[in-house]
Amino acid sequence: MSEEMIHPRFSDHEERALATVLDQIIPPRSDGRLPGAGGLGLVRHIEQVVQQAPHLRPVIVQGLSALDKLARSRNPAGFVALSSQDKSELLSQLTASQQGFLPSLIFHTYVGYYQDARVVEALGLEARPPFPKGHEMEPNDLSLLDPVRQRPKLYRQG
Amino acid sequence: MSEEPVDVLIVGAGASGAAMAWSLAETRMKILCLEQGDWMDPAQYPSTSLDWETRQFGDFALSPNSRRRREDYPINDDDSPISVSNFNAVGGSTILYAAHFPRFHPADFKLRTLDGVADDWPIDYARLEPYYAQNDRMMGVSGLAGDPAYPPKQLPLPPLPLGKLGHTLARGFNKLGWHWWPSDSAIASQPYEGRAACINLGPCILGCAQGAKASTDVTYWPVAVRNGVELRTRCRVREITIDENGMADGVIYYDAEGMECRQKAEIVVLACNGVGTPRLLLNSRSKLFPDGLANRSSLVGRNLMFHPYAMVTGIFDEPLDGYKGPTGCCIMSQEFYETDPSRGFVRGYSFEMLRGMGPVSTALWGMSSGRIPWGADHHQAYGKVFNRTAGMVVICEDLPELHNRVTLDPELVDSDGIPAPKVSYRLSENSTRMLEHSVARGKEVLEASGAKMTSAEAPLPPAGWHLMGTARMGTDARSSVVNEWGRCHDVRNLFIIDGSIFVTAGAVNPTCTIQALTLYIADSIKKNLANLFD
Ligand SMILES: Cc1cc2nc3c(=O)[nH]c(=O)nc-3n(C[C@H](O)[C@H](O)[C@H](O)COP(=O)(O)OP(=O)(O)OC[C@H]3O[C@@H](n4cnc5c(N)ncnc54)[C@H](O)[C@@H]3O)c2cc1C
Repeated sequence: MSEEMIHPRFSDHEERALATVLDQIIPPRSDGRLPGAGGLGLVRHIEQVVQQAPHLRPVIVQGLSALDKLARSRNPAGFVALSSQDKSELLSQLTASQQGFLPSLIFHTYVGYYQDARVVEALGLEARPPFPKGHEMEPNDLSLLDPVRQRPKLYRQG
Repeated sequence: MSEEPVDVLIVGAGASGAAMAWSLAETRMKILCLEQGDWMDPAQYPSTSLDWETRQFGDFALSPNSRRRREDYPINDDDSPISVSNFNAVGGSTILYAAHFPRFHPADFKLRTLDGVADDWPIDYARLEPYYAQNDRMMGVSGLAGDPAYPPKQLPLPPLPLGKLGHTLARGFNKLGWHWWPSDSAIASQPYEGRAACINLGPCILGCAQGAKASTDVTYWPVAVRNGVELRTRCRVREITIDENGMADGVIYYDAEGMECRQKAEIVVLACNGVGTPRLLLNSRSKLFPDGLANRSSLVGRNLMFHPYAMVTGIFDEPLDGYKGPTGCCIMSQEFYETDPSRGFVRGYSFEMLRGMGPVSTALWGMSSGRIPWGADHHQAYGKVFNRTAGMVVICEDLPELHNRVTLDPELVDSDGIPAPKVSYRLSENSTRMLEHSVARGKEVLEASGAKMTSAEAPLPPAGWHLMGTARMGTDARSSVVNEWGRCHDVRNLFIIDGSIFVTAGAVNPTCTIQALTLYIADSIKKNLANLFD
């Protein structure tokens, strides 16, 4: 059996819907310096997550489908065509019927987004692992200890 | 398969097993250590890759139940509000530890005498003091002399950087007139004995790629191996075997290929930590010891102590650069350490300041605390938190209670089919009151330091990283498992050296006390070699 058959990918339709949901979870930054999570391409990240945790796939697929059904009662073009406020409302509504859907998507979106090099740089950090460069730190001001040094001994003799 | 007999067989290559191997090596006895884990490769530690924060949910998770490495054994901790954290490798849990390295106080050995609770230890601070100092030199401990919370001590290396975050909090403590001091840290602030100096990577509890943190795979083990100790990895011990006289005569273990092997030994030393050691003893049943080896007192597995933790976090207006610097080693406070009856509980606690959080941890903390919502307000809320958090963990003294215990799970087994440990633990009324007090004081000092918002979590669920009391030390065989130098009352060639033998827990991280005890027990063995089993 091919890898594809064991772990089917999201369909194009699911991918589009997923990207829209991700953009609702983390929208683009208002200063334009960062795209939302969908625009950043985090669908790929979620795809990788479900490859490693296949039990999540039905949770996400069923959640997207339920969302689409709910959306069509408002707009026949489905979830992607709704206004941002409607999307947000529907996502909140969905939490009651699809319990695992939103919490797990939020978790994995936050993780994927904030480890992305573009986001890390936009936060003012260097997009690199801590090792091997490490970090410079300011020298210690141990004069702050003066009042503590003046205290009598604080321990009891055993 | 049966191997050549050895003089000393140590089970477990963590903090205590390493120190024992090193100390006994000078005797020129034939020493073997069996460890279920393997040597770690620091080049693969999370801090070497951009997804370093995420690996705390995978192969570097604190709980063996989530980590599920081949060498991990499962632990049923469903019946406890605090779950067990450990690591199984050469270096043991020191691979993950934060290396916060405070000693016990002299009073911590005398609870019955001074506070009328629990029991006194059969040894005291003065007895351990030279071994604390020896261990500080071997581990390369950084810190500053002169702390009024301790008897005088000299550490081999100067303190680690406080950083902007540490300075900010220190000013808050000063405002309230409370004690604080740079933390004693088993992290090299300068190059030390072939180890590189700390470069403030941050995530110490995901392994130290720099090698500055004193995990025992980079401190004791290289010297012990050079001095002739054999360390056999990927060997999981199932049980300790005994001869017809009830003396330990070796172990049965599974090797890397899962083959059952036997190893004979004159002396057996257990160093599997406060959960692994009682598990092994309870698994070693025989006609002579139907309730588990060395368990005639029925105390093996009982009196389990964690240290109930709280985490108190503040959000500041100013950036604090908290993602720089060793996670758990900054400053600490022992203002509320010693008993004060007016507080409504006995004994006390330490504050250990934590550095701030990286980008992913900030987001996830914000998610769980409700401070960083998804949706339209996300970026604004994130911006108020990222690089602006500082806080502390509170380490509360846990008192020994018989019902807090490690037993064998009737169903759960590890990958070799060995019964897994089950932990049952209840938070006492005393601990609950102490946690409440500490959270209120923690918030007070964060506000004095400039925090605009504070929040707390108590008890902290994953904080079962200090494992103590499950094979306690004492002079009376009816009320303790080992004597005052670690030898089992019931089996006189069986020694226990890990946190299991603690009589009480103090309110500090335990590892330097575990190792000082180990070095003291090793010295006692060396001194008594001629009549060790009398
Ligand atoms: C996340 C974290 C943070 C911590 N931070 C601190 C800190 O800042 N300061 C501090 O003092 N302490 C800290 N600790 C605790 C510290 O790591 C332990 O106190 C210390 O490592 C205990 O030493 P030990 O020798 O008793 O056991 P361990 O170091 O846990 O070693 C036990 C070894 O025995 C092996 N073993 C167990 N059973 C078997 C078997 N059946 N067969 C073969 N091998 C076996 C294990 O694989 C393991 O390697 C922390 C721990 C964790 C997990």
